[in-house]
Amino acid sequence: MKTAITVLTFALALLINGAALAEDPGAPYFQSRAFNVPILEGWDDQSGEGFAQFHLAEAQATIRTTTRTLSDPIAAAEAELALLTSLRVPPPTYSGKVNLADGTWHVLVYDLEEDTTASVMARIADDRVAVISFVERDRAARTAMLTLARSDESHEDAAREMILAADALSETMPSHLAQGKSAMLPSGEWAVYAGEGMTVMGLVFGNDSYVALRQGEQGDLAALAEAYNRTLLGFFITPDNSHYLALALAAVFVILGTLVGSLFWRERGLREELTVLEELARVDE
Amino acid sequence: MAGKAKSLPGELRIEARPQPRALRLLTIVTIVGFAATLVLGLGLAGTDIQQGEIQRIFYIHMPSFFGAFTAFGLTVVGGLIYLARRSEKWDRIALAGVEVGLAFSLINLLTGAIWARPIWNTWWTWDPRLTSAAIMCLTYAAYLMLRAGIEDAGRRRAFMSVYGILAFVTVLITLFIIRIVPETIHPVIIGASPQSAQGSFEATSGVVMALIPSLLLWLILMPITIMWHRVRLEERMDALNGLKMQVLSE
Repeated sequence: MKTAITVLTFALALLINGAALAEDPGAPYFQSRAFNVPILEGWDDQSGEGFAQFHLAEAQATIRTTTRTLSDPIAAAEAELALLTSLRVPPPTYSGKVNLADGTWHVLVYDLEEDTTASVMARIADDRVAVISFVERDRAARTAMLTLARSDESHEDAAREMILAADALSETMPSHLAQGKSAMLPSGEWAVYAGEGMTVMGLVFGNDSYVALRQGEQGDLAALAEAYNRTLLGFFITPDNSHYLALALAAVFVILGTLVGSLFWRERGLREELTVLEELARVDE
Repeated sequence: MAGKAKSLPGELRIEARPQPRALRLLTIVTIVGFAATLVLGLGLAGTDIQQGEIQRIFYIHMPSFFGAFTAFGLTVVGGLIYLARRSEKWDRIALAGVEVGLAFSLINLLTGAIWARPIWNTWWTWDPRLTSAAIMCLTYAAYLMLRAGIEDAGRRRAFMSVYGILAFVTVLITLFIIRIVPETIHPVIIGASPQSAQGSFEATSGVVMALIPSLLLWLILMPITIMWHRVRLEERMDALNGLKMQVLSE
């Protein structure tokens, strides 16, 4: 009895301890039922219920991730921008699509009023649309983030996609972009091109190129590009597979039930046989 | 045959051999422990954000293998002692070990397959760990079929003791294969997973603390409790068979 109490106490202690520790979040991630994104270190965390929002005051930049109950990614992106900036959202200056590991994303760039530029990635996720927005309100600059499928995988850097991005987004395409010293960031080695008030950075990752483009003062484009890239690559949706868990539990209970049930059935059979033997003995008597 | 009712062996009478107090206590502790570990693993433990809810089956999948390990290990012990002493009691323990171990192995195999569907995108793959686990299950299923096919009791017990000892090789292979064969996609929880592993998750302090009670339950309490009930049943079945033979011979 003493041993049983000791075992029970130990099990209870483990249970309480386990319950307290099981919620250990591990990596610094913003976690919600709808999605997960890395928390950006050094950025002001303005996240709330159902959305992750990080703000960098010195760059006047905000990165916000959320999901919207809409079926059209472009409508969801525009609704999200309207909410985030309180500005009228004009048609995008760039619109494209890119296939990443988790699905097809719409890539959109907007020039809003009040010197505000926005880059948005949006994709359908089950019955919702996941939206990752980058908004920059710097009067001295115009910043855009693009993810482009690589047109030629023989190139080692993202030069071709960087030129495409510059061409698509710049009203006055610079006649010459000189290759600068590449930037070593946590995400990898970014190629850097600059000239005539424009800086373009590009990172090759798998079959795609990530491009950050800035017109005006260069500022800390590398930090912005890294943060947006980290958000995009770190974004994932926790799969809803609870029906598989239910199936697995059903299998466990069926097997254990069969095992324990077979003991009862055999016990009952044994008693019945015993009764028959006793009856036979009585008849013989 | 007159007066045979009075000569029925006492061990056949349920009321004559009440359940030992320790077994009753063990049964209650096991049932309460099983319910508590389910609450811990399915309710209190945090959801794995990468794998989702299905990761919770890990709190049954891995412990059930270790429960099978205990049961099959007791089959080896039972077999060895039976061969040394020729005492039927040890053969019953060996048989109980196979029945319980096989049930636990099937739980391990099925929960693994169901976990693999959303994580590996397939119910089954001929990975070294999965293949060896399937061979292990088939080996012990064959034990039960062979046992039922041998008429002579003495020969049956001796043959199955040897079989039970040799069959344990499949358990050891299943246990160690992912450390021997590096080309496996099965994750390793204790120690680093190979690079080819898919569906690994970090054994954080939370996971470990939710796992330990379940591991203790499946490793010790569940196999011993169920096996004890099974051994008692086999004792009475043997006694009944002896009585039948006695009745038939008269």
